[in-house]
Amino acid sequence: MTDETRTPITNRALALLAGPFLLGQRALSLVFQKEDTPEAEPRTAASRITITPPEHAIKRRG
Amino acid sequence: MKTRLPDHGPLETPQFWRTLEERIETPEAQTAAHDEFLPGAVPSAFDDVHGLPPKNGFSRRDFLGLVSATAALAATVACDRKGQGTVVPYTKRPVEIVPGIANYYASAFNEGRRVYPVLVKTREGRPIHLTGNDEHPGVKGKTSPRTMADVLRLYDPDRLRAPKAGGRTLGWAEADTQLHTALKAAKASGKSVLLISGAVASPTRKALLADLKAALPTLEHLALEPAAGDAPEEAAKASFGQAVELQPRLAKAKVILSLGADFLNGEDPEALGAWGAQRRLKSAKDEINRLWVLEGPLTLTGTNADVRVPVSPSRLSAMAFALAKELAGKGMSLPAGTDLSSISAGVPAELGGNTKLWSNLIKDLQLAGRQAVVLCGAQMPAEAHQAAHLLNAMLGTEAIGIRPAEPLASVQDLQAATKGMAEGRYGAAMFWDVNPAYTYPQAAAWKAAVAKVPFTAWIGQVEDETAAQSHLLLPENHWLESWGDFNTPEAAVLQQPAIGTLYDTRQGEDVLLGAIKALGGSAPASYHAYLQGRWQQRLPLGTSFEQALHDGLVKTDDKGSAPAFKGASVAAAAKKAAESKAQGLELVLFPGFATHDGRHANNSWLQETPDPITKMTWDNPVSVSVQDAQALGIQEGDLVSVSLGGTSLLLPAVIQPGQAKGVLTLALGYGRTTGGVAKGVGVNAFPLMGLDPVSANVAKGVRLSRTGGKKELSRTQSHHRMEGRDLVRSLTMDEFEHHPQGHHPMPELVSLYEEQKFPDHKWGMVIDLAACTGCSACVVACQSENNVPVVGPEQVAKGREMHWIRIDRYYEGELENPKVVHQPMLCQHCDSAPCENVCPVNATNHSPDGLNQMAYNRCVGTRYCANNCPYKVRRFNFLEYTAYKTEPETLVHNPEVTVRPRGVMEKCSFCVQRINDVKIRAKGDGRTILDGEITTACMAGCPSDAIVFGDLKDPKSKVAQLVAASRAYKVLEEIGAKPAITYLADLKNPPTNGASTEGGHHAN
Repeated sequence: MTDETRTPITNRALALLAGPFLLGQRALSLVFQKEDTPEAEPRTAASRITITPPEHAIKRRG
Repeated sequence: MKTRLPDHGPLETPQFWRTLEERIETPEAQTAAHDEFLPGAVPSAFDDVHGLPPKNGFSRRDFLGLVSATAALAATVACDRKGQGTVVPYTKRPVEIVPGIANYYASAFNEGRRVYPVLVKTREGRPIHLTGNDEHPGVKGKTSPRTMADVLRLYDPDRLRAPKAGGRTLGWAEADTQLHTALKAAKASGKSVLLISGAVASPTRKALLADLKAALPTLEHLALEPAAGDAPEEAAKASFGQAVELQPRLAKAKVILSLGADFLNGEDPEALGAWGAQRRLKSAKDEINRLWVLEGPLTLTGTNADVRVPVSPSRLSAMAFALAKELAGKGMSLPAGTDLSSISAGVPAELGGNTKLWSNLIKDLQLAGRQAVVLCGAQMPAEAHQAAHLLNAMLGTEAIGIRPAEPLASVQDLQAATKGMAEGRYGAAMFWDVNPAYTYPQAAAWKAAVAKVPFTAWIGQVEDETAAQSHLLLPENHWLESWGDFNTPEAAVLQQPAIGTLYDTRQGEDVLLGAIKALGGSAPASYHAYLQGRWQQRLPLGTSFEQALHDGLVKTDDKGSAPAFKGASVAAAAKKAAESKAQGLELVLFPGFATHDGRHANNSWLQETPDPITKMTWDNPVSVSVQDAQALGIQEGDLVSVSLGGTSLLLPAVIQPGQAKGVLTLALGYGRTTGGVAKGVGVNAFPLMGLDPVSANVAKGVRLSRTGGKKELSRTQSHHRMEGRDLVRSLTMDEFEHHPQGHHPMPELVSLYEEQKFPDHKWGMVIDLAACTGCSACVVACQSENNVPVVGPEQVAKGREMHWIRIDRYYEGELENPKVVHQPMLCQHCDSAPCENVCPVNATNHSPDGLNQMAYNRCVGTRYCANNCPYKVRRFNFLEYTAYKTEPETLVHNPEVTVRPRGVMEKCSFCVQRINDVKIRAKGDGRTILDGEITTACMAGCPSDAIVFGDLKDPKSKVAQLVAASRAYKVLEEIGAKPAITYLADLKNPPTNGASTEGGHHAN
């Protein structure tokens, strides 16, 4: 029996072509992205935050 | 398999409901009851849950085709893992840190005058979880939901990390120079310097401010707590001649009368602890207290009332004074100088001629005497507070502690300061941990006035509306990086840092110490030294400062005499009360459950915790009574205009059963214009605050009108509904005595499934609905412990919230004043778990000690388990909620709990990491696990001790004994899932005809 809910074959064919194309384009752009692209907003903070123990504090247990 | 179902006849089973639609049985509600998930919860194109064909878009087959075609390309990209981290061991390990072992520090937090002694759990130097300090005799290891959530504020990415001026980052040396120059100039010119801070609850901070005043005699200090309500301060000044702090002592109260007081809302762990202790009854012969509530809005306290009467706030004082007159007529002596001649005795009109109710209340109070207490809500008018003080004085109550407090600034004081700034009276102004640009009702006048001050400095953590108007911004430590101390009635409490400062910040006190020195005063090098110096002079013999830091407190015997009540203050208040009338609409402005006065608005954990009453998240709609909504044709989510004077706010409306007719309620603390989380959430209600301190939070003559349009509400109350089955049980004391199992006989179940075997332990839980107040502390505790993600308002609206424990709120009875029961609902860890049987990859299965456990890396996200869970407690990561978080947000994560990625199902684990921690320690010690040694986060966080966890195989364990209690039942027991969680039926203690009149109610 024909599946009446299916979308037209042209739509599906288009999606099957466009999907891989767009995903591939994105994938290639990630692999071959320019290294020297400046960031949109310069980072103001250090990339890692230093954790230091509290001075003079006395721990309960641990 | 044949299972006999219990009889659910309509005459036998109480009809509980959760939403208005459910109550009036609209077709939409009936459809929703049959659809387990909200329309948005399952993407329409992949409607595999309902088994319906897709109407448009791709079919599943198309999707799989697309995936197959793209798999090869995806695999090439997957070869490059971006952002992979490297695990690096300590090269120089700090002495107190052992990787994998948690450290605990005692410290303290304050919110206004209320002090929360806490225990801070740190892992690898990072504070990750807060509980109450178990050494404190008042809080006994409990704390509030907002306190627990405040650990997240430490890692708020919006925190200011270095001083700033004019948009430029400065060093502290330059910032100090700017501040000190301005203060010296003001001092030299003889101009005043304005300092606005939060409440002064710390004796050492008070001393520091006195030192600053000595160095800068023109200093004017205001302690601002905009959500505390001015009316209690005004009433205290009238009744006692000074500001006071009240602490209910509910352990001593047999009868409690609340005049709009919400003491069970989670803010007061001491009150909740005492409440829970009086409600966790083993037998009907045990003593129970009785709670009478007269209130306009429906509060959490109102939902726990034994008798609740909806009353407009403006009429509360008249009723309370009438009660005083009745009690006086029955021989209870009035304080000297009390004049109640303007009050007429008799049944108030609000009771609709219910003389029995009125006489029962009078008799209850009269019989309980010193063991009765009257509490008044902070937002209620000053006359109501004065009436409460009078009633307590007449009763001679033992159930309230009254002690002098540092006065708070009223809105009038702030008005005077604004005028002073506009007139150029101040040479400089400092705003420390306050945000008057947001909280002052006349924001435009404030802004214009501040602009006329030559120099303004702001000390705080996240740049706010006040920071935007200040010249110099000084970043402040979080309290977990700070030193301090507080006075509580039972102990002097110390605050110590649990982590070194994350950024280039200082604590506010250190900034002021620097100013004292610059102005020619003498001060030690740091606030730590200042605090230590003061404490060492005052410590009791034999106690060292180090020991006090270890314990977090030094117990005191505060036997200071309470200020005396002034009877002469009553006449004016009583006259005003007698003249009060409930006319038109009254708006009650109260601190937001999540936001308080806006200071917590940038905390996403709190924003996403459903309001205990409205179950709203991420918004502050105006609550309208059922009667007013009917009269004005307002429906849930309708956009309405709330107008008062020249101010008008556009808000969505929710219809609140139980709210008094003519009363509107609106939460403060929303509508912030700064903060990554807070900005744009809800509407700022402070512009509607009055400028008269005696009734600033209650506005009369409010106009409400529909504006057209609707707003989608991110509200959880209709999510995960369970189709009106027998889920909650609530008994009166009479029913408890005679029919503890209620109307729900449970037949013997027959199952084809093989019995589970539990060789060593069988973990189980008991939740006492009589003690649960619905405060949601367990929800926040669980979120903090288990790295539960925040999903945001759009996802909540689709029913995709991720909380592992939720509080179901059920109504029963009439819309105008329903009975309410709260029921915490979490994974029931069923022995015959329906979710386990349908998992195609065995990602969810049963442990040998009775845990329904999840293997996250095995889960492929079919969601069959969620479909098959009768309790609707499984949560699916529809989107990637945590992977894109960066420092500092990730620092709050508990390293013992896996952070779950997109496409994975999750749910309550009974805090398996805590179970295993105790197991390993017990094994190391060569002993068995002790009863009560394992505490789940929800149990540890529950201030009323409604949750008990333990080993059901140990017959002596508390949990095993409670399971055998007469009030015990299991939710949906009839389906045979054999849940490991047992509920104890809720209890209400309304007066019975004979009991109360004869003085034999259960309270006595």
